[in-house]
Order: sequence, then C-alpha cells, then structure tokens
Amino acid sequence: MMNAILIAMILALLIPIYEAWQDEDIWQKMLAFASIATKTSIMFLVISVLRGDWMIGVVGVIILSVGNAGLMLLAHLIRRMNE
Amino acid sequence: MMINVLSDLCIGLGIVFWFWGTLPLLGKRSVLFKLHSLSVADTLGSMSIIFGLLLKIPNQWSLLVLALISLAIWNTILGYVLAYCSSSGGQDER
Repeated sequence: MMNAILIAMILALLIPIYEAWQDEDIWQKMLAFASIATKTSIMFLVISVLRGDWMIGVVGVIILSVGNAGLMLLAHLIRRMNE
Repeated sequence: MMINVLSDLCIGLGIVFWFWGTLPLLGKRSVLFKLHSLSVADTLGSMSIIFGLLLKIPNQWSLLVLALISLAIWNTILGYVLAYCSSSGGQDER
C-alpha cells in the first residue's frame, strides 16, 4: 500500500519537474519549484513513516518550515533585478 | 483497523488533490491562475497526506503538527509574495 502511494507521489512530482524544464518564463519556473519543494518534503515524511526512521522526518519538517523562506527571498531578488 | 482505513483514505484524497492542483501547471494560463490552483489544491492535499500519516503514527504528533502548521502558514505567505512579485511588472499579464 505504501509503495503504491509513493509511486503515485513520484508521478505527481514529475508534472512540476516537466513544467520547470519546458517553460521559459521565470515566474512559472518559480511556481513549479515551489511545488517541487513542497512535494519532496511531504515525500520525505511518507518515507520516514515507511521506514520508521525519524531522522529523515526531521529533515522533511525542517525543509517545510524554513525552505519556503528561501524561495520568498529569491522571488524578491528576481523582482529587483527585473526592475 | 478503522483508523488505518481512514488514514489510507486521507492519503489517497491528498494525492488526488495533488494531481488536481498540479495538472493546471501544464496549461498556457497566467501565473496567477496557476498560483491559485496550486496554493489551494496542493496545500490542502499536502495537509491531508500529513493528517493521514498522523493517524498512522500518532506518537510522533509534535513533528507532524509542526509540519501541518508550517504548511498552512508558509504556503499562504508564499502565495501572496509570489503574486505580488510576479504582477509588479505590469506587461507580462495574460
């Protein structure tokens, strides 16, 4: 059951990866990257439950709680450079 | 037994929401349209998946509740920031 869940999650992860690869517009790319970041950190949590290893889960929660801050800083940086 | 079925249901619902929120990324719509579908369906799906995991492993609730809270807060703020930054140019809106 958990393996099927993981395979479905990897399939869902392929969509933003493809979008980030094929779209030239920087904001569409940023959006796809934000989606990839959230999806991979949720996958970290699922894998940590699957293996019963909470060190992996801690890494996923850290990415969830501070990782988006980096994306926000990057968005402001890109906006300043476009001005 | 009942709890297990419920948690699998939550995780399955979350994956359906993920596909629902991410498939509009492939279209030729504007950034704001994609941001809306992503921030609503994707965040709800992620929260549903984490809630399913919380039902499965209740003894690590502190970590999972932290993940839930940070998802709810950060993704909302990130949505606002991305919308603000991407719409300031004025000429790239479709």
